[in-house]
Amino acid sequence: MNSWRHGALAQGLLRCHDCSALWPVSLEGHHCPRCGAPLHSRTPHSLTRTWALLLTSALLMLPANLLPIMRVTMLSSQGDASTILGGVIELTKHGLWGIAIVVLAASILIPVGKILALASLLIAIQFGKATNLRQKMVMFRIVHWIGRWSMLDIFVVGILVALVQFGNLAYIVGQTGALAFAGVVVFTMLAANTLDTRLIWDRHLQEASIGSET
Amino acid sequence: MNALQPDNRIACHECDLLMQRPQIQGDQVVNCPRCGSRLISSHPNSAERSLALALAGLILLLPANLFPVLTLEVLGRQQEQTIFSSAMVLYRDGLALVALAVLLFAILVPLCKLLLLTYLSGALHLRRRWPLLPLAMRSYQHLDQWGMLEVYLIAVLVSVVKLVDIADVHPGLGLYSLGALIAVTALSSSQLDPDLFWHQIADLGDPVERVETGHE
Ligand SMILES: [Zn+2]
Ligand SMILES: [Zn+2]
Repeated sequence: MNSWRHGALAQGLLRCHDCSALWPVSLEGHHCPRCGAPLHSRTPHSLTRTWALLLTSALLMLPANLLPIMRVTMLSSQGDASTILGGVIELTKHGLWGIAIVVLAASILIPVGKILALASLLIAIQFGKATNLRQKMVMFRIVHWIGRWSMLDIFVVGILVALVQFGNLAYIVGQTGALAFAGVVVFTMLAANTLDTRLIWDRHLQEASIGSET
Repeated sequence: MNALQPDNRIACHECDLLMQRPQIQGDQVVNCPRCGSRLISSHPNSAERSLALALAGLILLLPANLFPVLTLEVLGRQQEQTIFSSAMVLYRDGLALVALAVLLFAILVPLCKLLLLTYLSGALHLRRRWPLLPLAMRSYQHLDQWGMLEVYLIAVLVSVVKLVDIADVHPGLGLYSLGALIAVTALSSSQLDPDLFWHQIADLGDPVERVETGHE
């Protein structure tokens, strides 16, 4: 039983990414007659583009975590540069464990987990065995949904800088770490968008059909 | 329907499984039998519900942006903060791109989403063939994930926790409006039936000539 025949592409159809209409594969590269979106049976250069965006995000993780995202100046302390991890530690010192865990998750665990999860999917498509596909899809959906929550710390910096402006008494200034961190969030979101999950199924069904022939 | 377009079948966007279009009645959710992705989220009257929610959202957007979200009080001096000012201070600090990100994700994208949804659901409700409906629907779908109001709300709460030891923080009218706006936009996303919208847009008139030639 060749299950790859159940795919739309295997039956000569492609699905419009934007309006989900089905068209013959001969329209590949043309624009969708219903909505005008470019038609592709699979996202073009999906793997290369996802790798490029992932590597960019991984590199930006370094300045995002090493450089300060803001500098706090108060009467007592002068010009405390605060990194993301420093901010989390500061929260735990004040006993605010709940909020510290939320910030830690949004700012460090989610971006790192997201980069690793997408990389593992890419490796599975290109080199590995495409097994446990339903689990992989669940992982992908979580990664796709959760990515935007990493903007949390950027918004916090904006709010704190806007609020704490009391002349020489107390003020907060945004720092370049915030730029690198915003870059990580945007690039990982774009990476999840360009990864075409249908390639995982293609790989799996290819393996299955080779396995059944030999 | 167009002869080129076998509309009795649908394909999964995540695993490419081709299947018969299921019979749908009322509010119903259909998931892909192979990979579990959401295929159809059916809501009859989706256009009417979306129109009402989008208009409510546009009204709430005004106080959410015009009134201060938080006010900080230190030694009798007050500092107010709006969503817009939290973007502008980053621009002042030389972080133009970060300011742009906040401006886009917390103000412009939510605004554009509501405007597009009002335009689309208005056209579908009134059955008017307004221009560029397919482009509006595509733009809405692509913008969807970049609206981050609920993330902003959590950021406000984190900021309150960080500041509450040092100074007096007061919530403003902007914060309550923001909460209501998030409730309305979340409801409008859940009530949107993209499949129905696309069919209604196609029924209103074919925007691209190529389909006309396929018909007659
Ligand atoms: Zn289309
Ligand atoms: Zn599927």
